[in-house]
Amino acid sequence: MANLKKLYDAVLNGDAKTAVAVTQEAIAEKLDPAVLISDTMIPAMAEVGRLYECEEYFVPELLLAARAMKGSLTLLRPLLAASGTKPTGKVVIGTVKGDLHDIGKNLVASMLEGGGFEVTDLGADVSPDKFVSSVRELKPDLLCLSALLTVTAPSMRTTIEALKQAGLRESVKVMVGGAPVTPEFAREIGADGYSENASQAVVTARQFCHPDKAA
Amino acid sequence: MANVSAVNTSRQRVLESLHHRQPDRVPIDFGGSATTGIHVSCVAKLRDHFGLVKHPVKVIEPFQMLGEVEDDLKLALGVDVTPVLGPRTMFGFANENWKPWSLNGLEVLVPGNFNVTVAENGDTLIYPEGDLTALPSGRMPKGFHFFDAIIRQNHFDPDHLDSSDNLQEFELLSQADLDDIAAKARAAGTGEYATFASFGGTALGDIALVPAISLKDPRGIRDVAEWYVSTRSRRNYIHQVFSRQVEIAIENLQRIYQRIGNSIDVLFLCGTDFGTQTSSFCSVPTFRELWLPYYKQMCDWIHSHTSWKVFKHSCGSSERFYESFIEAGIDIVNPVQCSATGMDPEYLKSKYGERLVFWGGGVDTQQVLPFGTPQEVREQVLRRCRVFSPGGGFVFNTIHNIQAGTPVENIVAMVDALRSFSA
Ligand code: B12
Repeated sequence: MANLKKLYDAVLNGDAKTAVAVTQEAIAEKLDPAVLISDTMIPAMAEVGRLYECEEYFVPELLLAARAMKGSLTLLRPLLAASGTKPTGKVVIGTVKGDLHDIGKNLVASMLEGGGFEVTDLGADVSPDKFVSSVRELKPDLLCLSALLTVTAPSMRTTIEALKQAGLRESVKVMVGGAPVTPEFAREIGADGYSENASQAVVTARQFCHPDKAA
Repeated sequence: MANVSAVNTSRQRVLESLHHRQPDRVPIDFGGSATTGIHVSCVAKLRDHFGLVKHPVKVIEPFQMLGEVEDDLKLALGVDVTPVLGPRTMFGFANENWKPWSLNGLEVLVPGNFNVTVAENGDTLIYPEGDLTALPSGRMPKGFHFFDAIIRQNHFDPDHLDSSDNLQEFELLSQADLDDIAAKARAAGTGEYATFASFGGTALGDIALVPAISLKDPRGIRDVAEWYVSTRSRRNYIHQVFSRQVEIAIENLQRIYQRIGNSIDVLFLCGTDFGTQTSSFCSVPTFRELWLPYYKQMCDWIHSHTSWKVFKHSCGSSERFYESFIEAGIDIVNPVQCSATGMDPEYLKSKYGERLVFWGGGVDTQQVLPFGTPQEVREQVLRRCRVFSPGGGFVFNTIHNIQAGTPVENIVAMVDALRSFSA
């Protein structure tokens, strides 16, 4: 029988090969993918986030864990879709215009995925127009904006304004973060939420997504 | 001020401070290196402000688009340091054969091999060694002020990695390169300014350099995330890269030293950032295993053969590494990002003031310098000087380069505050 403790540990230790192998076993044994995600993957990534917050894990460890998790999720996702299971919520994320810093944004994206969200990553240097068109097309529950340069952070405000003008502001929650972003700045520009780090981002994101969508 | 040493030149002023003795006034660097510079647009504005000869400013560092701080501007700003740059820029071409170029409407001068094209979306693309037939290695988003690296990660087999791939950009300097360095060191080393050398080749895994934007066909691990991951999951590989890189670097330093001796005062060793805003990129034990021995090897060679002081840049919350930096033989830390967690100026000065020189920390560039009022800038500059300057061990610089868009009034307020502090 598939050893789920082994899967949990594989994610925690960033061992993608083992994570994929155990997931394949689990699939062959017809374990419910939704349960696998909610009972094994999400708790493993939550533990990764905890270790990151208390500085036992750093950027490399978190990236490795995220890869192991993705290896497994890639196998599980088609099954979820087939069974009609909904993700915790739908997220679009990107680093704002003029900013190339994407390490933090990537960690947030991975942790959200690990938290059961369906994440579309638009990359770095994303214009307000691109954010707006993606919101229109993908209809996410949550739009996440990252900025590391104080000189590009104002683009978050511009993006929120652009959403308003497109009549889409009410359709999506906006969460912001990155080194220079503070809760005050987030409020001032009219964002709905802010988090200081990647694992808190998951907690905040959950609060935004409708309970009926919770996995 | 007690025990102020007699100082006749800018160079002596800097040297006093580097030896932890109180100079006559706070020594100042703007434009000495790729992390203590001024964006070319701000250099142009400053030249206008001070009524200096009007001419297009040279972009001496084309990646971040840093402008040359010429002697007339040095005088206006009170600068005590002059750069000695390596043979080639980050894009692999030399700073020569200057030609005009328009940066969002500002006429500047760029090297002859600064060859660019404009992409469909309006972004400016730049090419390694200026070779337009190669794939571009840098991209300036439309309307922005500096380049970003274009990641060119070729397929690699993780089970058969060859460390020579990640050593592609580290080579023994040619005779022509040594001649170039010797000429530059001679020109800068008149004794007037402290000389700040950036020869390259000594940075260990600087994430700005990993993509190797100077190379036409980078091999090995060139993607940012892949590199970070490798520092955990492929540690042997990274050890192999660093240990060979350091052998080459020391051989180059030896050959450079034979040519220029002690005509340079400070060596820019490495720009790898270990800090983030609130934490770090790795643990202290990881640093001690993976970086410290190699830094120490280079510093040991430098200190046992030369009088050069060793400069280490590391942004963000880096204090936790300072004890290890000292153990490695690093003399100078930069940019001293006081706005990051655990980087309180008073604490840093009291704990490390006698063992590290703070080259930076002068004013916050996240909020105060770009967005504060001139009064706020002035107050912070005076406060930082009061904390960092006693007993020497301080060279004033903003925290990292002065960014495009920084109001010239704020830069001038900073310079005025420095002047009044030292009066
Ligand atoms: C690594 C780094 C780089 C790398 C970037 C590589 C990459 N692909 O991302 C390189 C070397 C290329 C680089 C370049 C530059 N950099 Co830089 N860089 C940094 C550094 C050292 C760390 C940033 C980082 O990756 N941290 C690690 C991650 C994990 O942390 P994080 O990004 O903060 O993200 C966490 C949280 O903030 C949060 N979060 C992040 N995004 C989001 C989004 C949401 C929605 C939420 C909820 C949460 C959230 O969760 C994350 C995980 O916990 C910072 C120093 C600092 N104090 O932060 C400077 C820093 C950001 N850089 C700076 C500068 C100036 C530059 C340059 C402009 C240099 C120059 N040209 O002069 C260039 C510009 C490049 C560009 N076009 O953007 C300055 C910015 C100053 C300012 N005015 O704002 C800083 C602060 C350094 C300094 N001392 O001044 N940089």
